[in-house]
Amino acid sequence: MTGSDRRPIRLALGKGRNLAVALDGFRRAGLELAALDGPSRRLILPAPEDGLEVLLLKDADVPLYVTYGTADLGVVGSDLLSESDGDLLVPARFRAGRSRMALIGRAGALPRPGSQVRLATKYPRTARRIVAPRPWGAEILELSGSVELAPLLDLAELALDIVQTGTTLRENGLVELEAVEEVTPCLVANRASFLRHRRWINDLVRRLEETEVVA
Amino acid sequence: MRISAALPHGVSALFADSARRRRALETVLVEHLERAGFEEAVLPIIDYLEPYEPLLTPASRRELYQFVDRDGELLALRADFTPMLARLVAPRLDSLDLPLAVFYRGDVVRFQEERPGRLRELYQLGAELLGVPGAAGEERMLRLFLDLLGQMANGTGRSIDLVLGVAGAVDRLLEESADGDLERRRALTVALARRDRDAIRSVAIRRCVPALLDLAEAGVPEDLDVLGAAAPRVAALLALRDRLAEEADGVRLTVDLAELAGQSSAPSSAALTGRPEISLPAGSAAEGEDVVWGRSYYDGTVFRAYLGGGALPIGGGGRYDRLFRVLGAEVPAVGFSLGLDRLSRGLGGVAGGDAADEDGVGDREAAP
Repeated sequence: MTGSDRRPIRLALGKGRNLAVALDGFRRAGLELAALDGPSRRLILPAPEDGLEVLLLKDADVPLYVTYGTADLGVVGSDLLSESDGDLLVPARFRAGRSRMALIGRAGALPRPGSQVRLATKYPRTARRIVAPRPWGAEILELSGSVELAPLLDLAELALDIVQTGTTLRENGLVELEAVEEVTPCLVANRASFLRHRRWINDLVRRLEETEVVA
Repeated sequence: MRISAALPHGVSALFADSARRRRALETVLVEHLERAGFEEAVLPIIDYLEPYEPLLTPASRRELYQFVDRDGELLALRADFTPMLARLVAPRLDSLDLPLAVFYRGDVVRFQEERPGRLRELYQLGAELLGVPGAAGEERMLRLFLDLLGQMANGTGRSIDLVLGVAGAVDRLLEESADGDLERRRALTVALARRDRDAIRSVAIRRCVPALLDLAEAGVPEDLDVLGAAAPRVAALLALRDRLAEEADGVRLTVDLAELAGQSSAPSSAALTGRPEISLPAGSAAEGEDVVWGRSYYDGTVFRAYLGGGALPIGGGGRYDRLFRVLGAEVPAVGFSLGLDRLSRGLGGVAGGDAADEDGVGDREAAP
């Protein structure tokens, strides 16, 4: 456990698709986060005007940093949150940046009951949960990227991935067979950090709600 | 042929400094417990599964390492000390002088999914006090728990966060908020324990939303009356918190019913655990919910401790008279356990190398 109760509150932000959403939302709620304005090679960005330190991480690493308390708070998509399965608090969900997790394929229908297919995804835990109650079975193939290629090249009949506009699918002759759940950028907090910084975190959430940044 | 030094997931071996550090910590704690009048119980690592059947929840059953012995007996590896101690003591209660103060130390073994903070072999030290009813027993064990932690943290500059609650304190509110629907109640329990305001708003009946949001934010409702029959117990706990806070140096004591929302006191609480089937916003409910659900056997004051800067509980406990009742015995019982690897690491040492970070403490389960 590398966290300390003497350092500033540490906020972990993913450098991916949720960064702009998080920065815009936090600034509307009154945080300045000036250190994130320009390019920087610093790994830990001090934001003393907000009483914070900011870590810029790969999206998938945010839940781990918060789970272990190295960061107190973070912003991460619910897709990655479901995969990491840590014991994180989720005090708010952003309104912006929402997308959907969908089953994708070439054919126009889901597999027939009783059939067994291959399903390619970056989200194996979510895939197992989604497939479990279905009348068809699936071998889960875990890929690290370009999941849409799998049904296109017959590596798998189905893919489970995030769909935002659907343009990539259409351009590649793929079909969104079923939207299975909404994906939202989430504000997450470490349990112990919430106890230590309850007032600050509650105040932030309140401001995020008042400015309609979060639902 | 060279053999691999790799160990199965979730277990670790300690050598040299790491081993010395854990043993030193253990020695200090044991000496403190003995000075406090507690006697050691040495418990087996293997037991019959059958005595624990009435105590198992679906989640704790999945954690068990069980097997059929060569003579056909169904056995299980020890996954929790408290139920094992209880099932051994319950048939002998008439011949014992109460109160009985015992401590134990050793490994518990649980199957845990590979995910942050979850090992499969956990080294624990714990203490149990049998035969002291009501607030007196709870206060004595809380003070002992605080003494042990205070002694550990003293001089390290680390503070302790101790979260207090009452098992079942939010049962009535959750029941009402779910309009009697079991799945909604399960979902709301997870949402409250995760302080998931969005999920609370989407699942709870409208008139209960403000009280649940209040709980998620502050840990205790502004108006204790929303807790129904649990209100006086929570009021008493708030008073105990204030008394202990005056005396406990370096310890932040918080009563937080949301943090411990999964600790239901309902006899059917086992049916309330597990992943809700109701649709929640994605990311609301993890597969392994042990921090959310806690133990199924507590029925009074419950508590969970975090060491300053640490993110995961280093220990926890509570009153568990119900556990004995399920085993056919009537005796008041309070106990706690500490995870020594996590405690050692939290105090500045790395007890078990990179992997040995977690102890599964604060989440004792009704299992061998």
